[in-house]
Amino acid sequence: MPQLLQIRPESDGVAAGETGPRIEISSDFREFLQADSVEQLVRLTQEVLADPTYPTVRAWRKTGGKAVGCFPVYTPQELVHSFGMLPVAMHGGGENLEISRADAALGSFLCSISKSTLEMALTGLLDPFDAFVFPYICDVSRNLEGIFSRVLPQRASHMLHLPQNFTSPATIPFLVAEYRRLIEKLERVAGDRFSQENLRASLEVFNEQRALVDRLASLKRDAPWKVSLVEYYLLLRLGGLLPREVHIPLLRRALTELEARQQRNKDAIRVIVIGPFCEQPTLELLQLVEDVGCYVVGEELQMLHRWCPRIEPGADPLESLATSYVRTPVDIGVRSTPTTKGAAILSRVDDSKAQGVVFLTAKFCEPALEDVVLYRKALDRRGLPYLHMEFEEKSTTYEQARLQLETFVESILFD
Amino acid sequence: MSDVASPAAAQGGASPTFLRDARGLQRKLVEEYYGRLAPSEKPHPPVAYMLVGGNLTEIVRAFGYDVVFPEIVALNCAIKHQSLENILHAESLGYGLDVCGYVKNDLGLQDLGGTTSFGQIPRPDLLVCSFSGCYIYVKWWEALAESYGAPLFMFDVPYMREEAPRKEDIDYLVSQLWEFVHLLEKRTGRTFDMDELKRVLAESRRAEDGWVEFLRAGRFRPSPIEAYFESIFYMFPINVLRGTPEAADFYGVVNEEVRARVKEGNYPLPEEKYRVLVEGVPPYTNYRTFWDFFRKWGAVSVVATYPKVGGLFDRGFRHDPARPFESIAEYSLGAYVNQSWPLRRQIIADYVKEYQVDAAVIHGIKSCRSFTAGQGDLRDWLIHERGLPTLYIESDHQDPRYFAPAQIKNRMDAFFESLEQRRAVAAAPGVAPA
Repeated sequence: MPQLLQIRPESDGVAAGETGPRIEISSDFREFLQADSVEQLVRLTQEVLADPTYPTVRAWRKTGGKAVGCFPVYTPQELVHSFGMLPVAMHGGGENLEISRADAALGSFLCSISKSTLEMALTGLLDPFDAFVFPYICDVSRNLEGIFSRVLPQRASHMLHLPQNFTSPATIPFLVAEYRRLIEKLERVAGDRFSQENLRASLEVFNEQRALVDRLASLKRDAPWKVSLVEYYLLLRLGGLLPREVHIPLLRRALTELEARQQRNKDAIRVIVIGPFCEQPTLELLQLVEDVGCYVVGEELQMLHRWCPRIEPGADPLESLATSYVRTPVDIGVRSTPTTKGAAILSRVDDSKAQGVVFLTAKFCEPALEDVVLYRKALDRRGLPYLHMEFEEKSTTYEQARLQLETFVESILFD
Repeated sequence: MSDVASPAAAQGGASPTFLRDARGLQRKLVEEYYGRLAPSEKPHPPVAYMLVGGNLTEIVRAFGYDVVFPEIVALNCAIKHQSLENILHAESLGYGLDVCGYVKNDLGLQDLGGTTSFGQIPRPDLLVCSFSGCYIYVKWWEALAESYGAPLFMFDVPYMREEAPRKEDIDYLVSQLWEFVHLLEKRTGRTFDMDELKRVLAESRRAEDGWVEFLRAGRFRPSPIEAYFESIFYMFPINVLRGTPEAADFYGVVNEEVRARVKEGNYPLPEEKYRVLVEGVPPYTNYRTFWDFFRKWGAVSVVATYPKVGGLFDRGFRHDPARPFESIAEYSLGAYVNQSWPLRRQIIADYVKEYQVDAAVIHGIKSCRSFTAGQGDLRDWLIHERGLPTLYIESDHQDPRYFAPAQIKNRMDAFFESLEQRRAVAAAPGVAPA
C-alpha cells in the first residue's frame, strides 16, 4: 500500500484570508471522476482539504448552485439536498489555518473546530456558502450559530434543536416542527418551496451513499489490511464535500478496487477509535494509529454519513427523517443515552472483534470527555485495554502520541 | 454560601455592612434546607435531583418530594473552599481537566460519600434532567443515573431562538409535563392533585414578584442593591425554595430592607462611581476577592445576567395558577442561557438602557461553554456597536486553580483607570463629550 502522506505540511500555517485558492476544480468535478485509482482520489482529496477556500464548493457555484454549510453531526443534509442545494460538511479549518481573530471572540477554553470555523467566517473563507446549519450537539455548536448571525448577517444561519427525550410520543412531531422551522429558512435561501417528492428522492440518494459507506466500513472492519485508516477517512470526508451524485459512483468504484486489493494481513492489534464524532484528528495522527501496529476496525469519524441506518421515505418523508433521528440505534457522545453507555461500548468492541479501545477526543470536547469515564468503567469490568489521547486541529509534533500508542500496542502484544 | 458576606469572612476590603436582616434570614433558610435533607430516624420524603435551569420544582413539590440541586450544592462547596478536593477526586476517577467544574465537584463529592460542612447530601430517588440551556446537563445526569441507578426523566426544552415560543414548543413541553406527572403518580402511588399544584404555583408567583421588585431596585441612582454579588445570595430562595411560603416571605423582608436603605442612605458603597453590568458566572472560590476588585473602584453592579439563570422573571414571566402547565412550560424556556445570542444581546442592550449602565464586566469561566462561548464576541459588540466600555476576564466558578488574582486585579485596575481617565478628560473645560 503506498504511503500517502507527507507528515509535515508544506508551510507552517496559512493565515486565513491571506492566501488565495491553491487548486481549482472544474464545475463537472472531472478531476475526481478521472482519478483512475484510490491512490489518486485520496491524493486529490488531501489537496482539497489543504485548501481552506473550499475548492469543491467553489466548483459547485460555477454553475450557479447554492451551498449550505452543515456543522456536525445530525444536520439533515437530505433536506438541504431536496432544495437542489449542496450540503457541505464543515469540519473546521484543519491544521494549516492560523487562528488570529476567533480566539478573541470565543475565549480560551474551546475546541479548535469552533475557533477555526469562526476564523473562516471572519476572514471570508466561508464566502462560497449561502447558509449554515448548526445542530444542537453541544453548547459550543449552539452558540456558534448565534455568533454567525452577527458576523455574517447577510447569510442565513440556523440552530437546529435536537431533542434529547427519546421516549415521549411528542418528540417526533416536535422534531418535524423543528425541521419545518429550518425549511422556512431554506426556502428563503433557495427561492423555492419545500417538496415532499424532492425530499423522498433525496432520501434515496443519501440511502445509496449510506449503503456504500456501510460497505466501506464493513471492509475496514473485516479486512482492515485492504484499506488504510487514512484512505478510509478521506473517502468518507470527500462524501461530505462533493455533490452526492458525484461521490456515489466514485465510492462504488473505489470499493471495487479496494475489495480486490491483494494485501498481506499484518500482525496488528484490532482497535476501535472512539471520540472524534465532531472535530476530526489530523491525517498524521490517524496514520500514526495504524503505523504503530493497529488496525482500526471501528471508529466515530465522519458520523454525518452514519448516524442512522437507511431511511425509508414512507408516506411522510419529513416524519421519516425525524423518526430516523429519534429511533436511531447509533450511540455517540452527543445523544442522551443514560445507563446504556457501558453496554454500548462493549457491544461495539464485540461487533468489531476489537482487542482494545483508543479514545481520541478533541481538546475541550466535553461530551466526549464525560463519556470516556463511563466507557472506561465498562472496559475495566471486562478487563479490556484502552488508551486515551486528546488532539487538536493544529498539531505539530507527534512524538508523544507515537510513544503513547507504541506503549499501548506493546502492552497488548506482550500481555 | 452562608459565610461569604459576614464581616469575619471579609478579606482585603471593607465589609459590606449594607447587608442586614435579609442576609441573616437567607443564611437561616440555607441551614434549614440542608438540615431538612439530613438523615434522620423519621421516614424521609423522596428526593428528586434537579437542575436550576428550566426546573420542575413546583410539580415535584406537589408530589411531596424534597429537591436537591447538585449545582447549588457544588457552588456551596466552592464558596466554602471545599470544591478542590471534590474536583481532584473526580479527576482521579477519570474526569478530565476540561470537564465542567460543577460536574466534577458534584460527582467527586458524591463518590466521597456526599458529606459537606453544611450537611449530608441524600441519594436521589429520582433524577429530573431539565435540558434547558446546557448540554452538559445531559452528560452529568447520565453519570448520575449510572452511579445511582435511579430513574431519569429527561425533560427536553427547546432552545429559544425567537422572542416568543411557538405553539409547537409549548405543545411538546406540556406533553412531556403530563408524562412526568404520570411517572410521579406511578412512583409515589399518589394521584396528581391539580389544586395542590396551583397552590404551589401561587407561592412561586408571590416569590417571583418579590424577587423582581428587588432586582429592579438597581434602577435607582444610586442603586440600593448590589445586583450581582448581593443578588447571588438571594437566588437561593427563588431557585431552591420556590413554591414555598418561606421563599415568598423572604423577598418581603429583602424589599423592606432595600426600602430602608434608600430612606437611610445605606448604599452598597459610599459613592457609586460606576454603574456596572456584570455578565457571567462568578468565581465562587474567590467571591469576596472578586467583589473587592469592584468595590475598590466605586463600581456597583446595578444589573447582572447570572441571577437570571433560573428564569427571566424580570422580563415579565410569572408562573400562573390559572394556566399551570402552560406557564411551567413557558418558564422552562426562560433560563438565561437557553436564550440564543441574539436574544441575550437584546436583553443586555435593554439592561444597559434601563439601568443607566456605565460599563460592562464579562466574567468568562473555563467550565461553562454554554454561558461563555461567544462572550468575547459580546464584548466586541458592546464596545463597537453599543459604545459601552467593556472588560472581559476569565477564570472558573468552581476550580480555584484557574483564578489568578493578580492578573484579574491588574486587568480590572487598568479598565477602571481608563474609565476614570476618560471621565476626567470629558469633564475638563473645553473638551466636548465623546
